[in-house]
Amino acid sequence: MKNRCVSCGIENLSKDTIGINKKLLGTEFENFFCIVCLAEYLDVTDEELEEKIEEFREQGCTLFK
Amino acid sequence: MKNGIIYADNAATTKLDIDAFEAMKRFLLEEYGNPSAKYSFSRSSSKVIKEARYKISECIGAEANEIYFTSGGTEGDNWILKSMQYHDVNKKHIITSCIEHHAILESCHFLEEHGFTVTYLPVNKFGQVESEALKKAIRQDTVLVSIMLANNEVGTIQNIAALTNVAHAHDIFFHTDAVQAVGHIPVDVNRLGVDFLTASAHKFNGCKGTGFVYIRDGVTTSSLLTGGVQEKRKRAGTENVAGIVAMSVALENNCKNMDRNIEHTNEVVSVFLNKLSNKGIDYIRNGAEVSLPGVVSVSFRNAEGEMLMHRLDLKKIYVSTGAACNSKQTVGSHVLKAMQIKPEYINGTIRVSLGKYNNTDEAVIIADAIADILK
Repeated sequence: MKNRCVSCGIENLSKDTIGINKKLLGTEFENFFCIVCLAEYLDVTDEELEEKIEEFREQGCTLFK
Repeated sequence: MKNGIIYADNAATTKLDIDAFEAMKRFLLEEYGNPSAKYSFSRSSSKVIKEARYKISECIGAEANEIYFTSGGTEGDNWILKSMQYHDVNKKHIITSCIEHHAILESCHFLEEHGFTVTYLPVNKFGQVESEALKKAIRQDTVLVSIMLANNEVGTIQNIAALTNVAHAHDIFFHTDAVQAVGHIPVDVNRLGVDFLTASAHKFNGCKGTGFVYIRDGVTTSSLLTGGVQEKRKRAGTENVAGIVAMSVALENNCKNMDRNIEHTNEVVSVFLNKLSNKGIDYIRNGAEVSLPGVVSVSFRNAEGEMLMHRLDLKKIYVSTGAACNSKQTVGSHVLKAMQIKPEYINGTIRVSLGKYNNTDEAVIIADAIADILK
């Protein structure tokens, strides 16, 4: 299911979470992580991902709300 | 690796040369007089501009009176192209290439909106403009040819001397956007034969917001900015004294150490590419054999350059991508498209631009990080 984290199973991933998955894993990537699991997968902090989301939003990327 | 980061985007901008920094400080904190003022406090500002003009002219084989200070490459490109509006009312055709920087391309679009026609020459797969294509594009009303000396995305160096010969045989002015080249490869305006040349200081370890234009003695141009007598009334506005000083020191240093810098940068590039190959990564390097030292445009098969760039960013490795995401979609590079890079590679392009402050350890870390992301 697209809207569920492939790692922990948490549901209802937000638009921003799906957006950051696409940005950092590739637009073809169909299996998404929640922010916590994505941060763990990429070996970064949740805060770093939140900063990236904010950056993309400011740039006007429509993958983010 | 300094401060935990690896800066590998030197084609975008460079770190300020430390000697340039030391030299400029005095003109910000102590001798900050307006060079146009008539009192003695301003004498040193005025004198140092004169010295900087001379130093810069020496670095590119020009005369001091042929150097005009600007705010950078974009202004220089806009100035020269837009000044063609006032040259000859019967000559309203410009020839450029389709891989120019947007400062050129958008100036051309501006001129098209003001009655000019522009021919955008294609390039071959290495990103080179061919003399034959230029010859064919020349018309009775061609006033200017503007071709960049070295490309900012792939580093390809053009054979400007051959192209200027073609233009001059038809009494057409020649401008080169040398923003990426000055301070990195030998640039001599007489060997190139150009009438105009644009440079930007922050690309060669000077300050942002400073640049210069070379205008061959005897060639007349109108002013882009008016309202003052500076730069022989060609470019009004109080001079950025500290920036000009920094620019002259940075350029002088880079020219003095050019052979050593090129050798060092080539070694760093070689380590980077060898490491990628050893990791079994499927990539191609874009551009010509004769290209700017340190500028490496690499395309990875079936990868996404933008994704790579952001993942490297999270590792504090800074490179740029051949495609930029605007608000609606990812827009591919006009340069890579013009070079007809294979579709399975074009989207997986990043530009790693290494400079004199990078080292081979950093090259290994960057290659390892890319391999790790692509695995």
